[in-house]
Amino acid sequence: MRLAIPVAAGALVLTACGSDDGGDSGGGGTTYKIAYQGPLSGQNVALGENMEKGVQLAINEANESGDYDFTVEYVAADDQGTETQATAAAQSVIDDPDVVAVVGPAFSGPANVAAPLYAQAMLPAVSASATDPTLTEGGKFATFLRAVPNDNAQGLAMADFLAAQDGVEQVMVVDDVTPYGEGLAEVAESELTAAGLSVERQSVPADTVDYGGAARTVTESGVDALIYAGYYEALAPFATRLAEAGYEGIGISGDGSNDDELINLGGGAVEGWYLTCPCTEPTANEATAAFAEAYESEFGLPPGTYSAEHYDVTNMIIEEIAGLGGDVSREALHRNLAENEYEGLTKTFAFDENGEFTNTAIFMYQVEGGARAYLGGIDELVGG
Amino acid sequence: MSLSDIWDVLVLGVVLGSLYAVIAIGYTLVYGVLQLLNFAHSEVFMAGGFGGVIALTLFEPPVDPSGFQSLLYVLIGILGGALLGGAVAFGLERAAYRPLRRRNASRLIFLITAIGASFFLYNLAGKLFGRYPMPMPTMYENRQLFEVFGTSVSVTQLLIVVAAVVMLVTVDFAVNRTKMGSGIRAVAQDPEVASLMGVDIDKVVSRTFVLGGVMGGVAGFLFGTNLQVEYTMGFLPGITAFAAAVLGGIGNVRGAMLGGLTLGVVEAFTVELFGDAWRYAGAFAVLVLVLMFRPTGILGERVGRAA
Repeated sequence: MRLAIPVAAGALVLTACGSDDGGDSGGGGTTYKIAYQGPLSGQNVALGENMEKGVQLAINEANESGDYDFTVEYVAADDQGTETQATAAAQSVIDDPDVVAVVGPAFSGPANVAAPLYAQAMLPAVSASATDPTLTEGGKFATFLRAVPNDNAQGLAMADFLAAQDGVEQVMVVDDVTPYGEGLAEVAESELTAAGLSVERQSVPADTVDYGGAARTVTESGVDALIYAGYYEALAPFATRLAEAGYEGIGISGDGSNDDELINLGGGAVEGWYLTCPCTEPTANEATAAFAEAYESEFGLPPGTYSAEHYDVTNMIIEEIAGLGGDVSREALHRNLAENEYEGLTKTFAFDENGEFTNTAIFMYQVEGGARAYLGGIDELVGG
Repeated sequence: MSLSDIWDVLVLGVVLGSLYAVIAIGYTLVYGVLQLLNFAHSEVFMAGGFGGVIALTLFEPPVDPSGFQSLLYVLIGILGGALLGGAVAFGLERAAYRPLRRRNASRLIFLITAIGASFFLYNLAGKLFGRYPMPMPTMYENRQLFEVFGTSVSVTQLLIVVAAVVMLVTVDFAVNRTKMGSGIRAVAQDPEVASLMGVDIDKVVSRTFVLGGVMGGVAGFLFGTNLQVEYTMGFLPGITAFAAAVLGGIGNVRGAMLGGLTLGVVEAFTVELFGDAWRYAGAFAVLVLVLMFRPTGILGERVGRAA
C-alpha cells in the first residue's frame, strides 16, 4: 500500500484547487442566481468554457457597476455536452430556489433532455447555442427560448455558399450521429438538393477511433465539396485523414467546429476549411470591440465562439430581473424574456410565440494561415 | 467493391488490427497469470498516449525534421509511452491488485476494483492534463511512402505496423524463450506448484503487468500519432482489444494477436460496406459468432503452455 498513499494524496491536492465560481458578490440586496448549463468537462469543453466566460463577465460587470439593487450569482451546471449528464445538471439547477434563469443548455442533445425539466419547474432556459430546429417546434418546451438562429438558417447558408462556388456539383454531407449533427445535415441535404446539387450522405459517429475508412469513402466518391455536421473534436482527426487520402475539394463545417481548438488539433489539415456560425466575431465588429477588450483583461485570452452571445443573453436576463423590480419569480421572468425585445451587442434579441429566435443572420469564417479568419455575413458573400 | 478497394480497406484494417493486437496482449497476459480481467488496461493505453506527448514536448521536435531526426523523435515518443504505460501498470498492480491477492479476495472484488481503478485513472488524467484533447507534436511529414497493389501506405501506417510487429515478436519470444517467460507460464499453469518450486509469484505478477503495460503504453503513443490524445481515449480501443483477446482465446498470447488483427480487419470492412455507424456491430457480431462455436476462442485457452 505504500505506493497508494502518495497517489491518493496527490489526487486530493488536485481536487482541492477546484474551479473558481463566477464573480465576487457586489450590488448587495437580494441575491439572484443565473446558471449556465453546458460542457464544462469532457469532450468539447473548449466551446463550453468560451460560453461560460461570457456569462461570468456579464455577471461580474453587473455586480461591479452598482446600477442594480440586487446581486447576481453564477451557478455552473456541467452536462459534459451529453444527454446522459443533462438530467443531473438540470436537476441541480432546478433544486436551487435562488436560480431564476438558465443560460443554456448549450448543446441540442442535452437541451432535448433538460428543457422539459426546466418547463416543469417553470424555469426560463435561454440557449444561445443549441441550434437543432426541432427544439422549438410548436413551442413544446414551455420555458425554452432560443437566442440564436437555428440550423435551418445554417444549413441554408452552407447550401447557398456551395451553390455559389464554381465547379461544385456533387456534395457529401457527413454527420456525427449527434442530434446537432443529424439536424444540421438533414437541413443542408434538403437545401442542397433544392439548389440542384447532387448529394451523398454519410454518418460517422463522433467517437470513431479511425477516420481512415470515412476519408476513403469521401475521396472515392469524387465529390467537389464536403459538409461536416459535427464538432471540432472529431473534425480535426477526420480532416487529417482527408488530407492524407488526398482530398482536394472544399470543406465546410458549422458552429460546432468553429473554435481555435480545431486548428490546434488539426494543424495544417484544416487549412482552408470554411466554418459557418450564427455567431459574430467580437473583435471584427465595432459594437463588440469593447466587450472583447474587457473579456481579454478579465480572462487573459480573447473571446471565443459564442462568448459575446452568452454575454448578451446574460445581460438580457439581468435587465429583465431589474425590470421586474423586487417581484422576481421564475414565471414572471420567463414571461418578460419571451415578450420583450433586447438590444444586445451582437444582435437584437426577440422571440416568436414558440420561443424561436426571429433573426437568421449567419456568418462565415475560414481557416487561413493557422488562424480563423472572419469573412463576413453569408448574404454579402453570395450576394443574395 | 473492386479489388483495389479491398486492398485499401485491408491496409486500414491491418493498421488498426495491429494496434488492437498489441493492446490485447496486455489483457491476455494478466488474465493468464491471475485470471483477472484488468479493465484498467485501457487507462494504461491512455497513459502511454500522454507519455508520448510529454516526452515529445520535453524534447520539442524541430519544425522540419530530417529523416534521422524523425526516427529519433519517434523513438523518444515510443520510450515515453512505454515508460508511463509500464509505470501505471506497475503502480496499478501494487496499489490495487496486490492487496487483494494478499487477502485472497474473490474474482468479483477484483473485477469491481479494476473498474474503479479505471474510473480513477482516467479522471486523474483529466485533472492532470486537462479535459481537452491534446495534439501529438509533429515528428515527421506523414507522406505516402509506397504502394501495395495500388494502395498507398503512409509513414504513420508503416510506423504502427512495424512497431506492432516488433513488439509482438518480442513478447512472443519473451514468454516462450526467456527465464521471465517460463516464470509467467509456470504461474499461469499452477501458482501453488510454481511457488513451491521457488518461483517468486509477486515478482512474476509484477513483471507481467509491466510487460503488458509497456506494450499498451506504446500502443497508446502509436494511436496518438494519427489522431490526438485525450483522457477518455482508452475506453473504446480498450473494450475492442479486450474482445480481441477473448476472440483469440483469453490467456493465449498468439490468440490475442490473431484476435486483434481479425477484429481490425472486420471493423475496416464493416465500415466500408455498411458505413461508420456499424463499426462496432461488425466486430462484436464476429465475436459472438465465434464464441457460439468455440467458447474458448479461436486458438483456445492455452494458458501457460507454450502457445
